Formats: sequence, C-alpha cells, structure tokens
Amino acid sequence: MTFEDVREKAIRAWAEFEADERRLVLVGTGTCGRAAGAEELIEAIAECLPSLAPDAHICEVGCLGLCYAEPLVELRGPGLPRVLYAGLSPDDAPALLDGYFGHGDVRHDRALAVMDGPAADGIPAFDDLPMIKGQLRIVLRNAGRIDPENVEHYIARGGYAGLAKALSMSPEEVIQEVEDSGLRGRGGAGFPTGVKWSFCRRAPGDRKYMICNADEGDPGAFMDRSVIESDPHSVIEGLAIAAYAIGAAEGYVYARAEYPLAIERLNKAIAQARELGLLGDGVMGSEFRFDVKLKQGAGAFVCGEETALLASIEGKRGMPRPRPPFPAQRGLHDCPTNINNVETLATVPVILERGSGWLAQYGTERSRGTKTFALAGKINRTGLIEVPLGTTLQQIVFDIGGGVPDGKRFKAVQTGGPSGGCIPAAMLSLPVDYERLTEAGSIMGSGGMIVMDEDTCMVDIARYFVEFTQSESCGKCVPCRLGTRQMLGILNDITSGRGRPEHLDLLNEIARAVKLGSLCGLGQTAPNPVLTTLRHFRDEYEAHIEGKCPAAVCPNLVSSPCKHTCPAGVDVPRYIRCIAAGRYADALDVIREKIPFPGVCGRVCFHPCESKCRRALLDDPVAVRALKRFAAERGADRPARQRPAPKTTGKAVAVIGSGPAGLTAAYYLARLGHHVVVHEREAEPGGTLRTGIPPFRLPREVIDRDIQGIRDAGVEIRTETSVASLEELLNDGFDAVVLACGALKGLKMGIPGEDDPRVLDCLSFLKQANAGADPGLGKRVAVVGGGSSAMDAARTALRLGAEEVTVLYRRTRQEMPAAPEEVDHALAEGARLEFLTAPTAVRDERDTLKLDCVRMELGQVDASGRRRPVPIADSRFELEVDSAIMAVGQQPESVAAPGLETDRRGRVQVDRGTQQTGCEGVFGAGDVVTGPASIIEAIAAGRKVAAAVDEFLGGTGDIDEVLAPPEDVEGLAPLEEQEERRRVQPRLRQPGKSVGDFDEVELSYTEEEALLEASRCLRCDLEEPEEE
Amino acid sequence: MPPHATATDDRLAAIFARYAGQPGDMIPILQDVQAVFGYLHRDAMSATARFLNLPEVAVYEVATFYTQFHLTRQGKHRIKVCQGTACYVRGGRRVMQAVRKKLGIKPGETTADFQFSLERVACFGSCALAPVMVVDGKVYGGMTPQKALELLEKLE
Repeated sequence: MTFEDVREKAIRAWAEFEADERRLVLVGTGTCGRAAGAEELIEAIAECLPSLAPDAHICEVGCLGLCYAEPLVELRGPGLPRVLYAGLSPDDAPALLDGYFGHGDVRHDRALAVMDGPAADGIPAFDDLPMIKGQLRIVLRNAGRIDPENVEHYIARGGYAGLAKALSMSPEEVIQEVEDSGLRGRGGAGFPTGVKWSFCRRAPGDRKYMICNADEGDPGAFMDRSVIESDPHSVIEGLAIAAYAIGAAEGYVYARAEYPLAIERLNKAIAQARELGLLGDGVMGSEFRFDVKLKQGAGAFVCGEETALLASIEGKRGMPRPRPPFPAQRGLHDCPTNINNVETLATVPVILERGSGWLAQYGTERSRGTKTFALAGKINRTGLIEVPLGTTLQQIVFDIGGGVPDGKRFKAVQTGGPSGGCIPAAMLSLPVDYERLTEAGSIMGSGGMIVMDEDTCMVDIARYFVEFTQSESCGKCVPCRLGTRQMLGILNDITSGRGRPEHLDLLNEIARAVKLGSLCGLGQTAPNPVLTTLRHFRDEYEAHIEGKCPAAVCPNLVSSPCKHTCPAGVDVPRYIRCIAAGRYADALDVIREKIPFPGVCGRVCFHPCESKCRRALLDDPVAVRALKRFAAERGADRPARQRPAPKTTGKAVAVIGSGPAGLTAAYYLARLGHHVVVHEREAEPGGTLRTGIPPFRLPREVIDRDIQGIRDAGVEIRTETSVASLEELLNDGFDAVVLACGALKGLKMGIPGEDDPRVLDCLSFLKQANAGADPGLGKRVAVVGGGSSAMDAARTALRLGAEEVTVLYRRTRQEMPAAPEEVDHALAEGARLEFLTAPTAVRDERDTLKLDCVRMELGQVDASGRRRPVPIADSRFELEVDSAIMAVGQQPESVAAPGLETDRRGRVQVDRGTQQTGCEGVFGAGDVVTGPASIIEAIAAGRKVAAAVDEFLGGTGDIDEVLAPPEDVEGLAPLEEQEERRRVQPRLRQPGKSVGDFDEVELSYTEEEALLEASRCLRCDLEEPEEE
Repeated sequence: MPPHATATDDRLAAIFARYAGQPGDMIPILQDVQAVFGYLHRDAMSATARFLNLPEVAVYEVATFYTQFHLTRQGKHRIKVCQGTACYVRGGRRVMQAVRKKLGIKPGETTADFQFSLERVACFGSCALAPVMVVDGKVYGGMTPQKALELLEKLE
C-alpha cells in the first residue's frame, strides 16, 4: 500500500466517522478530563447508552483546552446540532442522553457550544465562545476533534501530507522552508528552528540523532502533555520531517515519567506509524529510513536542558556540560544531534504542508506564528489555549481567560515557569512575543502562564520558585549550587520575620551572580523570579521586612489572616472566642486593646479582615464586623474597668482634627500621660464620621459613646476652634502638633457646567443632610461615583424625598470601591445604578438640569489592576435631573506652614519612619497624609503617630495596653470543619423596602445569632507553626 | 539479604533479558526494577551493575540523582501532593499541610506500618484542575484540605 492508498482509506473512514447520520458520544479523556471524572462519566454513559441509542458509539477524544469545564462531552445525532456539554457528572448522563437521542432535546442548561456549525437554539457556536474567539489553533488543530488512537483520523485531516511533501524536496529545501516560516524553538529559548537544523545538517558524521524533548518540567505547563495525548502523530510527523532534514536515521522522544497517558498514546502511535510504513526502513516508500524510541525521564527538572537530557538518555546522571561543543556537532553518543520541543515539532508538518508563508503571516515581525499557553492559577477559565504571537497579556488573561475569580483583584501573571518572571498589572498591555517578554524581565518559556491575585504573596512566590530550582539544581557548578541555596536562605528569612533591609541588595547581587556564572539554563534563569519580583513588587519585600505580609500568606508572619490584615492589628480570633464563650465584656476589652472606636468600627468598618478570612474557602467569611458590633453593644453592659491614671509627663500635644485619626492619636497620647488638646473646627467632634456617614449606617449615639470613652481617658476636645497657624500652637506651649484634618475637599470632574448651584459636592451635601438640613434636591437626582460616599449620598437623597435616584459609575459593579453590601442596600432602597456610564457635561435648562452622558467600555488595564473605561463612540444620551451630586473623590484642603510639604494631590508629606512633616514637631496622620482611605486605616495611623510623638517627646513609644484577662488556649485547636455552614446575615429593619427615615437600617445580632456566627471561626491563630 | 532472594534473582533476570546491556539501558532497567519491587534495594542495584558491566557506584549515582527512584520500601498507598505553581497558588500548600498532619510523616517518608508513602511532586501537568493530588496513580483535581482528608480516610 502506498501512502496515497493509506490516505484515501483514511479519508473514507473519517467521512464515515463524521457522517451526519452517525450517533456519537465524544468524551475528552486527556489527563485533565480524567482528573475531572471523565472515566466515571464514560462508565455511566456506557451503561445507559445501549438502551437509549443502540447504534450510538462512544469515542474518546483529546483535549479541547477548556479544562475549567471538564468533563466535556459532545453529542452528535442525525438532524441535530452537534452540542458540547460541560461539567457533567455521571448522574447527568441518563437524562442528557435520553433527551438528546430520544427526544432531540439539546438540553440548554448544560450546553456550552455548538460544534462545527452556527449557533442553534440559543447555544453559541464554539468559535464564538469568548475563550475560543481570540485563538488560532494550529498546533492544537486536531486536539479534541479526533480519536488520538486512530491514525486514520490524523491522516484524513492532512496528517503526514507534510512528510510526503518534505520527502519530495531536498533536505536543504526543507530547512529553508522552516527558516522562512520564522519558527522559533517553542521550548523556551526561542532559537530559530531552521537555523538550528542547518547546524546539524552541516555537521560531519554518518550517524545523527533527532530528539524530541517532551520533558515538560515547568510546573504549571501542560501544553506538551496535551498535544501528545490529543494528537501524538503530529509529533511523530514533525520528528520524521526534522530527521529527514538533518540526516538522522534514529530518533528519541524523551518524555517525563509523570505523563503515563502521554507515554502510552505515543507508544501506540509509534507502532501504528511503523505499521503504515511511516517509520522504519523506506519511509513512505522512499530511501529515507527513520525510527523512534521512547525514553522516559525519571523525575529531574534539569533534564529538560538539552545536554542533561542527552546524559540521561546515555544512562547517566542528568548533568549539563559546557557548550561548545553544541549537540549539533557532538550530542548523543558524541554524534551530531538535534533536539526540539514537542510544540515546535507539532508545528513543522503544517509548515511543510501549507508552505512557510502560511505560518509566517501570523505573529509579529520577529516572533512568527502562534504559541500555546497553559492558563492556570487565579483565572476563571483555566485551560490550554493557542494564540497568534503578539496577542496582549490582557487579551489572554481577561478576554480569553475570563479574568480573576471571586471579584479579586489581578496582581501578576507569571510566564516562563521557574525560569521566568512575574509581570504586574501595569504591564498587561504587553504583546506576548519573545523579545517583549525578555524586555519585561521574564521569558516566553514553554508556555506556562500562572495568574496571581491580591491573595498571592509575591515574596512567597519568589521563595517558592527558588526552593524549586534549588532542589532541582544538579549541583555541578558553584554559582547555581550555592547561589540558589543562599537566595533561598535569604527568602526564607524574609518570609519568616527575620528579614533585614540589607537583604534586598544582597539578594539582588547574588541573583545577578548566579545568572552570570551558572553553567546551564537552570542556574542562569533561576534568579529571574527573584529579580522580577524585586523590580515590580519591592513594596511587598519591604513590608515583610517590617513584619507584614500584605497578602496574609506567609505562615511564619501571619498568625491569622484577619488579625494580620487589620491595619490596627485587632486580635479578631481572640475576641470571637470570647463571644463564643459568652464573655462579651472581655470581647470588647480585646477590641479596645487596639482601637478606641469599637462602636464605630462595629457599624461601618470596611472589614479588610473578612476579605482574607479562610472560612471563605469553605463557605462564607466570618462576619467579623457584625460580631464586633455585638461585642461593642453587649460588652458595654458591664461597666468599664477603672484603669490607673498614667503618670503625667508634663508635655502637651495639640491635635488638629477630631476624626478617627486625630482622636485615636489623642487617646493613646493621653494614656501615656501627655496633656492632649484636640482642636475641632466644627460644632461637634467626630470628623467625617459625623459629617460624612449618615445616621442610618452610623447612629450619632454610637459616635458619641466612643468619643466619651476617649474623653474619659483625659483628652480635652475644643470644638468650634480653628487653628490659624501651626507655629502659634508650638509657641503657645504645645510640644508637638498632630495634623489630622482629613481630606474634605471634594474633587470636581472638570466637565462643563459643573459649577451650576444644583451640582453639589458629595461631602458638603452629606454634611448638611447629616446635620438634619434638607438641601432641596428635588425629585430626580443623579449621583456620580462608586464609593461609599456615593452610596450614602444616593440613600440619603431617597430619604429626603427624591423619587428617582440614578447613580452613574464609569466602571462595572465589580470594580466599585463601595462595599458590596452598601451597593445592595442602595439597590434595595430604590436607587438605580448605571454602570459604564459617565457624564460629560451639565447643561442648565432653567427648570431642570440635563446631564450629557456617554457609555463606556473597559479598555486597557491600568497600574491599579483595573481596566480603564473608554468612551464608546456615538453612545451619548441625556439624563434629565433636578440636581446632581458629585462623589468622585476628595483631597485634603490646603494646609500651609513653613517647612510643610504637600504633593500635587494636596497630601501632607511625612517621614516614613518618624511620621514627622518637614516642620519640626509637626506630625501628620490619616487622610491628610494618605488621601481618602478608610476609618480603620485612620485609626491605625493614629496609633502609629501617637507612638512616634511619644518617642519624640522622650518616651518609649509603647502604646500597647492590656485590658482583657490573659487567654488560656490549652486544649483549644483550630476548627476542623468540612460541612458548609453559611454566614448568619445581620437582619435588616425593613428588608427590601425603601425607607423614609434616618434610623439605623441594620439590626444587631441576637445572642443566638452571635454565638452561631462565632462558632464558624476556624481559629487559624491556633494552627501550629509550619516546619520549614 | 531480603528473605525472598531466589525469587528476586528470577525476577531480575526476566527484566535484564529484555535489554542489550548498553549503558543507555540504565534508567529503563531501574524503572522496570522499581515497577516490580516497589523500590530499588541494594541487591537489585548490584545485580544491575553486574549486568551492565559497570561499577556499582554508577548505578548508585543514577539511583540517587533521579527523584523517581526510591531506595527504601514504599507504602501500600502512594500519595503524591502536587506543589507545582498553579497548585501552590490555588491552595496546594494547605492541602499538603493537612495530609502531612494526617499521615504524621514528611514528604519523602513512609508510615511505620508501610500503609502510606507521601511525596511532593512539582507538577503533574493537570494545572487547570489545581490543586491536584495523585493517589496510587489516579489524578484527583480540585482538592481542598477537607477533600484530601476524605480521600485518605476512604483508603484506610
């Protein structure tokens, strides 16, 4: 039989397989599919299929690349669209098959896409799926569409036509074709493949070897595994073409032992190829002879490096050797050898079959063609994709990958495995090609792409990669063997609280030395994760050196993520245990050890602790804030313990501003014995707590009670007192001044017509309304913005009688700074939210206001990790309102004093260590320094500045208080719970109805509810420390 | 000397019979030996050296270089917790912690009753289903500490 005969027979077989009348069940059984339960699913299908569709067959196919949706099943029947179903369990099988084959019902709720055809019955076409749309599947041309163990499928779809073409050309012509295509090594280094082949071709020697490197060792990479499992012949054909080009008669595939299914399929494919005369003596009846053997790796990452790989094939330890001589001259058994990656070889047949120009039309100038990527980590649609080179990271992560799950913020994407680097949000517009990735400090690598979010610690990631490369280092050369160990040691120190500032420069130095001095690619690239994280995430390293892991990950720094994340360090698990034990007053004391505002925080803290709560991995985060409220209310039933008055120091401190930052600083300074006088411009203390937050969220009595506690500590608060000059204060007998005047100046959008008197600044509006005045908004109100203030303004407007309140936000709901529950309340109370909308002008129409608005779409990701909204052309529309409230941000009012520096956003500059401004004796804390932030951050700033001022005044700076009795944790352990128990939601006064008054909306927990919620805490702080 | 010495010799001979005795056969032979005996014991390594006509240290250095090879007896159930990047980022560290605690051994060790062996593996290539655990060759995706413990309990 000639190849032509084989081909014709294959085409007939394929036509039969594809015939419309056939009833087929195609199940993806790559390793991913199996891990997701495909084998059990097939068993269930096999059981019920014969009775539902006796002539139907089950065919196992490879991987379509939608791993997140596995197990995947495609059903085909006469007259029916071919439908792909996702995420099936064995129980789903009978109903699904009965529906499809029995009644022609394509069962929409499980349907993902229509294959090989247009959309039908509301099910989108496969090629239109967001994950598939941006892809160009060349290497993956057959994956998931053919039976990988049926060679006829491969041949019918053009398989081995490339080899036939190659055999009709001279080897030099074949090499030229591959060179012209621009194909570069897909294993990671990106060396031009054709050129590499020519080196081997030209090398003198009768015996040459062609090797396929299938040792895909990069953790996070599974492209090669998938290609081999789904389309093994593509690799064999590529090998044969390459062997012909270089003049080799013997070949190997070196596959890692961790891929048993790939090895099994490859062995089968090799046997089939031999049978058909596609391998062996006289390939396709020509003079060319070539055969392939399989060699299994034995678990050594370094064997992915070509000289180590060769050593392994020769039966030795996988240690690299210096080059030159290169394998092309002296490789396996000292003979000229060419080694190529799986993906490179799988691309070769297409280049020969369709000509070099076909591939070269895709990609960028120097990076032609496509590249597969294994998308994994914190991404919604994990899987295997193939895109033209030059596609941006943003397109890959957000459009194709579907972005980051659970509303978390994108932080970085790691490319190139342990040899690569982490690319931050600011660089997401980077087109993916060899040069651009290298410029960014990373490398293309084999194609692993791991997405990381706000809960990933970048220092821990660097440590993780160095731990890996250090253990995989073969040990032959000193820079790698010792250098990786040193880097690991330093990184372990930093992540365990033993880090010192000098470590960062030392780490940098060692990293560079390892990069320059190592013998092979493993050592030369091992420092990359360290260097890129130092470059792009230095602030995380510095935070660790100061004892904080911002992502709340590092086990030796973080006792419990909630406590660690709280800016003030409130001992959350401890007060929850007090509540659970019925000791409410103790719970309140634990809270008061860190913050003087338990009541306020119990109402309106934005609870960063909850965003890191580990309980969320099981069901919902623990309701830390609501429990704090419960403790603040119930704990106050027992009168506060009398504490001994501190010894007076004779020093006096003036605090300007009675918001959370100022009053917290005042409290701690008074507790240390200083005479503290708070100067407040308004009639009542509290700052933005009182003026900016409405009573239906934060009742005035709660503010007053907390402030009384601060007064009781000896703080004098002078209201209606403005400060004209800081110098005067210092001359007036104060030894230090703390500036804590907040960020009260509303920002303007800068659009025409904004100065109309009916356009109100949000903070001014809220101040009036919270004082009981009615600014007279009219019936139709627009609120521009998406933060807490915007939500407060909207809900206040509704209470003042507005009938239509429309909130305009230029991004999407997920990106709103306001807490999700606040947005829910606003919606429940009747506000309408228009996302991706922004006003461009305000026009005075005498009786009304007209807002010109435009619709937005999300464009490039900016440095904050969010996509920048971009106006959509021709989308303008008009909104007619009676008034508008601008809630687009705030900045500090101008503060002028000699020596005081502010930045262009009006923020007062302070020394990072001493908290002092440029003016001697004048300190800054809270929003006036940071710009608008949260209450708890302001309180934390107040603590920090109090310590700093105390030190300045000659004290120790130790503000820690012990208020609660010591805790005995003997016999207590972390909670090991496997059952889901959802969060106890705080009840609302009038759920779902719009409210007319300003009374508090949320109700406190009952005792039963609090005990139940407190019992959900996992007690992470009681976990034993991890062994290193 | 292991108690079943003669049976060992027979089984080793059956393995060697499949090979020409070239140096390049070293790793495949050791892989076959481990597949039969569960690990590479001293006598098997000596026999391999003799068959390949190489010094014993040549076998020993290969056996100790590659992580696939075990030089001590393994447990009935082989638990491999993936600590590859995707698995790590998606909580694989805590899965390993839970398994370590439950079995009472460190990665690379076997329980005293030879029921379980625990290994950390860098990547199984099932990253899209992270975190992954392989039990007796079967790949399980979407692991949590709770699910891992449930799986182990089913084996006991």
